[in-house]
Amino acid sequence: MQDLKLLANDNRGRSQLEAGFDLLGWDEVTQGSVLPSFDGDATGIANMKAEERTYSGYNSYTATVASWRVIKPVFNRDICIDCQNCWVWCPDSSILSRDKQMLGIDYDHCKGCEVCVEVCPTNPKSLLMFNEHADLEESLASWPEKKKKEKKSEEA
Amino acid sequence: MAVKFDLNEREVWDGNYAASQALRQADVDVVVAYPITPSTPIVENYGSYVGNGYIDGEFVMVESEHAAMSGCIGASASGGRVSTATSSQGFALMAEVLYQASGMRLPIVLNVVNRALASPLNVRGDHADMYLGRDSGWIQFGAFNAQEAYDLALCAFRVAENHSVRLPVMVHQDGFITSHTAQNVYPLTDEAAKKFVGEIVPVDDMLDFSRPVTYGAQTEEDWHFEHKAKQHKAIMDSRSVIDDVFTEFKELTGREYKRVESYDMEDADVVIIGLGTTVETARVAARELRAETGIKAGVVAIRCFRPFPYDEVREALKNAKSIAVTDRSSPGGAMGAFYNEVSAAMYTSKNRPLVTGFVYGLGGRDFSIEEAKRIFTEQQAHADAGYITTDIQQFSGLRGPKLGFFQTDRS
Amino acid sequence: MAITSIKNLKEFSTNNDRFEGAHTLCPGCAHSMIVRELMNCTDDNLVVAANTGCLEVSTAVYPFTSWDTSWIHIGFENAATAVTGAEVMHKVRKKKGRLKDNDAPVKFVAFGGDGSTFDIGFQWLSGAMERGHDFTYICLDNENYANTGGQRSSATPVGATTSTSVAGTHSYGKKEKKKDIVSIMAAHGAPYVAQLAPNKWKIMAKGFQKALETEGPCFINTVSPCCTEWKFDPKDTIGITDLSTDSLMFPIYEIIDGHELNILYRPKNVISVEEYMASQGRYKHLFKPQYRHIIEQVQKDVDAKWDLLQRREEARI
Repeated sequence: MQDLKLLANDNRGRSQLEAGFDLLGWDEVTQGSVLPSFDGDATGIANMKAEERTYSGYNSYTATVASWRVIKPVFNRDICIDCQNCWVWCPDSSILSRDKQMLGIDYDHCKGCEVCVEVCPTNPKSLLMFNEHADLEESLASWPEKKKKEKKSEEA
Repeated sequence: MAVKFDLNEREVWDGNYAASQALRQADVDVVVAYPITPSTPIVENYGSYVGNGYIDGEFVMVESEHAAMSGCIGASASGGRVSTATSSQGFALMAEVLYQASGMRLPIVLNVVNRALASPLNVRGDHADMYLGRDSGWIQFGAFNAQEAYDLALCAFRVAENHSVRLPVMVHQDGFITSHTAQNVYPLTDEAAKKFVGEIVPVDDMLDFSRPVTYGAQTEEDWHFEHKAKQHKAIMDSRSVIDDVFTEFKELTGREYKRVESYDMEDADVVIIGLGTTVETARVAARELRAETGIKAGVVAIRCFRPFPYDEVREALKNAKSIAVTDRSSPGGAMGAFYNEVSAAMYTSKNRPLVTGFVYGLGGRDFSIEEAKRIFTEQQAHADAGYITTDIQQFSGLRGPKLGFFQTDRS
Repeated sequence: MAITSIKNLKEFSTNNDRFEGAHTLCPGCAHSMIVRELMNCTDDNLVVAANTGCLEVSTAVYPFTSWDTSWIHIGFENAATAVTGAEVMHKVRKKKGRLKDNDAPVKFVAFGGDGSTFDIGFQWLSGAMERGHDFTYICLDNENYANTGGQRSSATPVGATTSTSVAGTHSYGKKEKKKDIVSIMAAHGAPYVAQLAPNKWKIMAKGFQKALETEGPCFINTVSPCCTEWKFDPKDTIGITDLSTDSLMFPIYEIIDGHELNILYRPKNVISVEEYMASQGRYKHLFKPQYRHIIEQVQKDVDAKWDLLQRREEARI
C-alpha cells in the first residue's frame, strides 16, 4: 500500500541535502552558478507527473531531507476520505496524490512538521505521528478508535 | 521593421551621441536606464530612436540606477541584447548589482561616462567611478574620443556575447571632454555594423521553457570560491577574444585598437602612462617636447583596464627609464590603483624602471600640455639621477603648497 | 491562460507540483504552502523572481534548486525590477519572433518577504507598479525579518517582541503601527490588489488566478505565519492562520482598480485579538498587567480597520 517507488523517478533521494553532492572543482561548476532544473526537454512540465519528469541532479527533488525528521506521519488508507487537505497545506510537497486520491507520504521530503495531521478532518485521523523508526504495520495496528467527541478540525 | 536612419560617411557627434548610435546599430533589445549627468543623452537618444521607430527595442526608464542595472539583469537573463549608461553617483548606486551581473555571466554593455564621486558633489570628469568598478568582474574598455566611444561600444557586444566570454563590458569615456565635445566620427553603415555585431545567441535563457534555469543561487563556503575562480578565469581568457574582435574591426574599418596603445615609444626614455582623454594631451606634449628639448618622451595608454594587460604593459614599457603613472581618482590613503598595477607589472621586468605616481585632474580639473611636459621633464631628471628625485606620489595641478608622499630609500 | 481547476480540493490536487520538496524552509513554514498554491494555479510558463529572504535562501542553495520554472534572485530589494526586466525582454522577443515558442503564454511573478516588500525593496516595487508591467508581486508577510533571526520590519505589528524591538521591563515590544501596504499598492492604481491567507485556500487560489489573468501590475499580500519567530508549534501553522483571519488581524479583501473594495471573507464568529495573541510567544509579555492595555489598543485598531473596510465596500470607494 505504501510502496511508493512507483511514484518516484530513478534518481530521487540521491543526495543528502547538505553533504551528499560531490564537491566539484572550479572548472566543473556551472557557468554563472546557473542551475538547470531538468535534463533534456522540459516543455510542458506542468502537465507531467513527477515520475514522468527527467529531473536534473541539481533539482532538490533528487535530494532528501529525511534526516531532519524525528517523528513521522503515518497514513491510514482505510480511514482517508481523500479530502486533500493534507495535499494543499503540506509545506514540503510531500503528499503524494494522484487522480484525486491520497496515496501516501514522500518520506524523502517530509520534515515531520505534523501540519498534515492537524488538518486531517477524519475521525479518527487518517494521518498520525509516530516515532521515526516505528514499524508501519505496528503503527497501523495501534491506530486509535473513533472518538465520540472529536473536536471539529479546521475546515477547508 | 525599424525605420531607416540616414547617416553620412562623416558625422559630427559628441561621445554620448556616438555611443547611442552604436546601441541603435547593435539593435539592442532592451535599455533599462536612469538618467544622470553627463551620460543622460545616451539613454535619452535610445528612447528617442524607439519613440520614432528607428529601433524595435524597448526603453524602460526606472526609478534609480540600482533598478536600471537590476532590470538589465532580468532582461539579459531572458536572452536578448541589453545595454544602458550611467555615471558617478549612479554608478555607485549600481555597484551592488554590477557584481551580480558579472557573477551571473550576463553580457550587458554599460556605457560609463566618467565623473567624479561626491563628496563634495561634482559633475565633471574624473575616474573615481571607473575605479569603483575595477573589482566588479566587468571587462572595462577606455575610449579617448567620440569615435572610439562608438567603435568600442560595437566591439563590446561582440566580446560580451562571445560564448567563451559571457561577461558584461563597460565602455568608459570621460565626462564632458568626450561626452559633450562634438568631433568628427566616421560611422559604419547600419548593414556593416549589424553584420559585425551579429545576433545574440542566448545562453541559459530564462524564456526557453524547455530548459528552466535558476539564476542567483546561494553559494556558501563549499562553492563560492570555485565560482569566483571560474569567473576570474573567464575574464583572463577574454584577452584573446578581445584581440580577435579588435583585429576583425580593423579589417572592417581600418581603425586599429590594442589593449595597450603605445605612442612614440620606439625610443622613449620617459613615459606618461594614462587613461582616457589625458592620453591625447600627453601625446601632444610628448611630440612638442621632443621637438623643443630632445627629451625622448612617449605615451602608453590603457585601452582595456580590465582584464588588466599585465604582459602588454610590461612589454610596452620594457625600455623606459622613468615612468609617470597618472591616477585620476583620489586614492584615499594609498598610492593609486593604476600606479600599483603598473608598478607590479614592471617589478617583474628586467629593467625595473623608476615609477612615480601622479594624482591629477580630480573633479574635471584640466590636465594641460604644459603640465604633461613638466612631468616628462621631471622623469628625465629621475632617469639622469638613477633614482626618483621627487616625492614618489605627487599631486599635479593642485593649488596650495606642494603635496606629495614617500621618497626613494637611498640609505 | 491555462487555468487549473480550483472547484474543489480534489480537482486542485490533480496538479503536478512545480515547486519541489527538499528545500530548507523550516518545518511547518507557510511560505511554501503559499508558493505551491500559486504555482499550482496555472499551467502557464512562469518566470519567477525572488527577493533575498527565507524563500530565496531556502530554495536555491547551490547545487540544488527547488524551482521547476525559470527563476532569478539578484538582491534583497529588486525582484520586482528583475522580473519586469524579463517581462520587457519577453515583449521584445515576442514582437521580433525570437522566442522558442512564440505563442506560449508566460506569467511573471515576484516574491518578497515583508522586509523586502515593506522596507528595503519598497522603492523598486513602487517603481515597477507605477510602470505598469504585466506581473504579479506576492508578499509573504510573516511580519519580521525571519531569515536573519527575527528583526522588526515595518510590517511587524504593535506589541510584538523582535530582536530589534525587544520587550522587557521598559518596553512592550514594537511601538509603531504596521504599514498599510495594501492601501499603498492600491493607491498606485494597480488593477488588482488583495490580502489573502493560506487557510482560505480557495479564496487565495481565486485571488492568485485573478492576479495572473489581470493585465498589468498586481499585488497580493499573503499572511505567512512563522512558527520560528512568532513562536508557535509548527503543526499549528494553519490553526494560527485561522486565528489571524478570524480575529480580523488579517482581513481578507481585494481592491480592484484602486477603488472597488470587496471583502472576501467574513468570519462567522469573530474571535478577539487577545485570543489570537495568546497563541503566540511573541505576544506573551502583553499578558503581564502593565502591558495589557496594548492588547486593548490593538483590538481598537483592528475594529476600526474592519469598520473602515466594510464602509469602503459598501460605498464602493
